[in-house]
Amino acid sequence: MIKGRHWLAIWLVALLAALWAVIARQTASLNAARALTDLRAQRAGLEGRRDELERRIRTAGSRAVLLPRAERLGLRLPADTEIILIPVSPPR
Amino acid sequence: MAKPAVRLGVVQIGLLAALAALVLRAAQVQLVEGRRHAAEAAAQRTERVVLEARRGMLSDRHGTALALTQETYHVGIAPNELRDPRGDAPLLARRLRLAPRELDRALRRRYAWFAGPYTSLDVQPLRAVRGVHLEAVLRRFYPSAEFARAVIGRVGDDGLGASGLERLLDSLLSGTPGAAVVLKDRAGREYESPARVIAEPTPGHDVVLTLDAELQEIAQRALDDALDRMDAEGGDVVMLDPVTGEVLAVASRHRDGTARPSAFTETFEPGSLAKIFAAAALLEHGRVRAAERVSGEGGSYRMPGRPTPLTDEHPLPSLTLADAIRVSSNIALAKFAARLKPDEQYETLRAFGVGAPTGIEFPAEAQGKLRLPSEWTGPSSTSLAIGYELSVTPLQLAAAYGAIANDGVLLQPTLIREVRDPSGAVRYRHRPEPVRRAVTPQVAARLRDLLRGVVEAGGTGERAALANFQLAAKTGTARRVVDGRYAPGQYTASFAALFPADDPQLVVVMKIDNPQKGSYFAAQTAAPVTRSMLEQALAARTVALDRARLSNVAPTAERAPLEEPDGVVPYVVSVPYAPDSTRAQPARAVPDVTGRGLREAARTLHRRGFRVVVKGWGVVHHSWPAAGASAAAGSTVTLFAEPRP
Repeated sequence: MIKGRHWLAIWLVALLAALWAVIARQTASLNAARALTDLRAQRAGLEGRRDELERRIRTAGSRAVLLPRAERLGLRLPADTEIILIPVSPPR
Repeated sequence: MAKPAVRLGVVQIGLLAALAALVLRAAQVQLVEGRRHAAEAAAQRTERVVLEARRGMLSDRHGTALALTQETYHVGIAPNELRDPRGDAPLLARRLRLAPRELDRALRRRYAWFAGPYTSLDVQPLRAVRGVHLEAVLRRFYPSAEFARAVIGRVGDDGLGASGLERLLDSLLSGTPGAAVVLKDRAGREYESPARVIAEPTPGHDVVLTLDAELQEIAQRALDDALDRMDAEGGDVVMLDPVTGEVLAVASRHRDGTARPSAFTETFEPGSLAKIFAAAALLEHGRVRAAERVSGEGGSYRMPGRPTPLTDEHPLPSLTLADAIRVSSNIALAKFAARLKPDEQYETLRAFGVGAPTGIEFPAEAQGKLRLPSEWTGPSSTSLAIGYELSVTPLQLAAAYGAIANDGVLLQPTLIREVRDPSGAVRYRHRPEPVRRAVTPQVAARLRDLLRGVVEAGGTGERAALANFQLAAKTGTARRVVDGRYAPGQYTASFAALFPADDPQLVVVMKIDNPQKGSYFAAQTAAPVTRSMLEQALAARTVALDRARLSNVAPTAERAPLEEPDGVVPYVVSVPYAPDSTRAQPARAVPDVTGRGLREAARTLHRRGFRVVVKGWGVVHHSWPAAGASAAAGSTVTLFAEPRP
């Protein structure tokens, strides 16, 4: 037969277990939130980096940058006489 | 003194009364005022925050991003939370782009706040610094800041579109903000705990514009160079696909540095560019025969009812309508146009869209000016025939010339090609929208023939002529109106071209305001610049030209033989197969290139319309198919090379 103090102990253990479960869940959710925030920040960082690289590529590949450099190398834009379009026959 | 039992009874009654009061008060707090207290508690401990929706992306027709949304940050620093203020200061100053003294001053405050906005790259190293608080904000980012700036527009500080397409498409781009509830501590600071999301934000739609990034760059650069070289006040370029009405490029520049979309919003008198509309009216109403001639009057002629004489720069003794367009004769056009009734002239101009907004999706488009015939004065008919007493935007002109290219059907120009929802599904795709038939297909073809003559030898637009592709075009040099009056010595040079003349794929309209260095005539200013733009467009690989259709149009002249080397390597553009626009090519003989260098041999084969594959190195030993054999144009000839002896 379980005596009064045993009941008390059982209730105490149950209470501690419930508290531990609550704290564990909160800790896990906080950790998950932190990880999510870090991931969001990481993604934003990568997106920012991508945008910046895209901007630099766009600038570097623009005619304003390329044409003067090409001209310094003795290159130039082709005249229309130097552009040959090869007609393609439709497949049989 | 009462008995103890009585006293005990009183105490019990008192306790019961106190308990009852407590219960009643509790009931009042919990049951009667419970909601109010709960709301107050929630307000103290929680905060409802708006979750910004990511604004949709604007891209060009090939998917190149033109405007996108980026996460940026405001930075707050609590100096008392910094672990090592002196040690952190250099990093903070560098990342926040502040002078050390400036940062030092800011850190003396209780809380320093820097609006920035700083990019995620800027703030990445600051995330680990205790005492630094980041506040994320979404910001509009333009990878090429000057790319079609006036057309794309900008977003205001409130995050809403402030100008251009950003403003017009705001409801599509902006999306729907979400909401979340976050927990706060006593000081009002947010707990680092997951927020309760009430509504997820819905990102805005992505909009694919009709602009072609490469053509746009060609147009902007050509315009910039031309205006600098000619010391002009400003100018515009519009490029349009006449088959779909899609605007491929639009550039505007002004000496005062303002980014005004003047191609859409500012009008000018087109001068000789409008002569083709008078010709259209004459042909549509059968008022002129092809061989009919009028006198050139020696270059000066006083029209009845017109105070000043009409003059021609390069007079011819007599002119047909084709001659009048080719040399842009004011006298001949005025004489021919006198055969038209005012209503006929007006209706034709109106049919080409003069005096009415085109309907393009752009805020504040100008509609131009075309008065009703009842408001005309004596010389109005003549003036309208040579492009005065009416005003148009460069876009209206491009649309009108587009109608000539499109067998007489005027299309509504557009800047929007597609609208995609956040999941990527296409919600809208542009289809050509005919406004009306301006002229019959036969008249449109005849008008293209007239315009073709302008670019031939002796025409005013011959400096725009391309060697391998026919062009149909018109020059216009008109007196410039400033503050409602013709400014002495000021002109607007303009040029409209259909490329190529057969089966046009591109309408180009270029306008240069008041060129001051060198000639002010369009023939010497806008025409060669247009030619340069077309050459660049041909050489660009990604430009929205259907090269399969281009390869089938009639060349200007027989291509020059390649036997004499000129030190130039042809730039060969491969043509993707397009079954709707290619047609069978006749077979032709494979030239004999045995013994020639690889470069020269490849060039010879390219000129004859063959693709080339090279095996080996040095000089050509033999080819497959062999020299003299018959092969279809566009097929591959393999060159087998051996080292030079």
